[in-house]
Amino acid sequence: MKRFYKIVILVYLFFYSGYSVAQNPKDKVTELRIAFISKKLELTASESEKFWPIYNEYNDKIKAVKKNLRQSYKKGVDNLTDKEAEDLYQLDLKTKQAEVAIHEQYSAKIKEIIGAKKIVKLHVAEEEFKQEIIKNIKEKSD
Amino acid sequence: MLIFISIIFLFKPEIKSQAAFDSLKIKLPKHYFKTVIIIDSYRKANQNFTDTLNPLATKLKSYGIKQFNASFYTPIYTQTTDVKENGVTKNTHLLLTGNFMLLQPLFGGISQHSLIKAGMGVRCIINSGKKGVWFVDASPFVTKDVTYESKGYFRLASTIVYSHNVSENFNWRVGATKSFLWGNKHYWPFIGLRFGKLDKVNFSIQFPRSINLNIPVGPKLSFSMYTRPQGGMFNFSNSDSLYKVGSESTFSYTRYELNTGFRADVRLNDAFNFYISTGISSKNNVTFYSERANKARPRLPYKNYFFSKTMAPTLYVNIGLVFKFGKTRSFYKDRNMYDVMDLNNANGVGDNSINTGNPQIPITPKAKKDINLGSVQDLIDYNDF
Repeated sequence: MKRFYKIVILVYLFFYSGYSVAQNPKDKVTELRIAFISKKLELTASESEKFWPIYNEYNDKIKAVKKNLRQSYKKGVDNLTDKEAEDLYQLDLKTKQAEVAIHEQYSAKIKEIIGAKKIVKLHVAEEEFKQEIIKNIKEKSD
Repeated sequence: MLIFISIIFLFKPEIKSQAAFDSLKIKLPKHYFKTVIIIDSYRKANQNFTDTLNPLATKLKSYGIKQFNASFYTPIYTQTTDVKENGVTKNTHLLLTGNFMLLQPLFGGISQHSLIKAGMGVRCIINSGKKGVWFVDASPFVTKDVTYESKGYFRLASTIVYSHNVSENFNWRVGATKSFLWGNKHYWPFIGLRFGKLDKVNFSIQFPRSINLNIPVGPKLSFSMYTRPQGGMFNFSNSDSLYKVGSESTFSYTRYELNTGFRADVRLNDAFNFYISTGISSKNNVTFYSERANKARPRLPYKNYFFSKTMAPTLYVNIGLVFKFGKTRSFYKDRNMYDVMDLNNANGVGDNSINTGNPQIPITPKAKKDINLGSVQDLIDYNDF
């Protein structure tokens, strides 16, 4: 029995040291963003039921596409061979195309659910949230 | 040809988007569930048997509980479908579950017994995408007294529940469960009612599992007050000659208690949370049944016991660590997915009264702290400044 507790403590220490105790700031921003959009959109129960699963899927895809590109750039760009630079350039183009294609596909789906007026509201809310964040960061840096 | 062209025209944005996405060879998470490991420890104070006229009570002297539980669940299959006609997204989740319990009933007058309960099961949760969610669980397990040479005993606990989300603020559930939580084999109806949103203050009655008042106070901390049964049916070695009729080497030891207490759930990060709870354990029942005496009635609860006592209420302490692994798909504000998570958590793995406290359901943060450029790089670029 004591052995069990020792293992549990060891596992706990491993986790405690391996991960930041604070919540991942990206997740926190996502949660704030979702809350902000939710408040601005004022969806009906039936709209909400269909909208969120699709909007979550859209965000997951956009995030994955952007992260993929960011990680490719993180490998370093100073000592790239011509071939590597060309690949990275192509990836950049493909990423932008994918973003547009995903946006087009999901906007069409979302428009069917919440209508044109609310989809415009959604884009405005997304932009307003961005501005809120920028304001927040500027205030902190001043 | 015309049909082919029509299909292409109809699904053009999907095909284009999927092709663009596929060309990047990015793998999105398949599942909504993380792999979760739960380590749970439960302790109930020792109490003396007050019945001095009962020879077995005199022999046993006192009774307490020390319980350790390690369980897990992991997603093995997830299917998500977009239903074109009504625009809903429905999904099916198949989870593998496993449980290991080490129970030490602390009888003051006899030798120490270590009883184990171990098993693996499956659960399937079907989210219709509209109002309803189905939950089906099968948890076979074996119980054995490992301190002494004794045979194991195979049992099967199972649950089927239909959960209906009338609105975000109100949910009802109905179903049936075969459970050993109340100290015997019982076929109960499952009836649940929840008032309030799952990510806000809510009151939930889930008969026969629990009654909860949940109060989230921030993204990292949540309190709850609850009442729930804790118990089980275990194989017990007759090495102390407690059962004197016949020559059986084991008998059934069953216990249940009704725990009413206060619990704090702390979500440290996405990979780890813990809970601590304490309260009063009432209806503390301990019963010994003879296998042979009950064998003729295999489908009914055991009735022919040779010892049964209910002790006075006592204090208990329960601590749990929850480790979560893997990346998942997002389900923010998705009412049905919140319900899927709640169904999975409310029905403890392996027919146990262990609830991980819905750590997967995000609680909206109130303040905008810790916002830095790194955390928002997916949202903004330099042109925005």
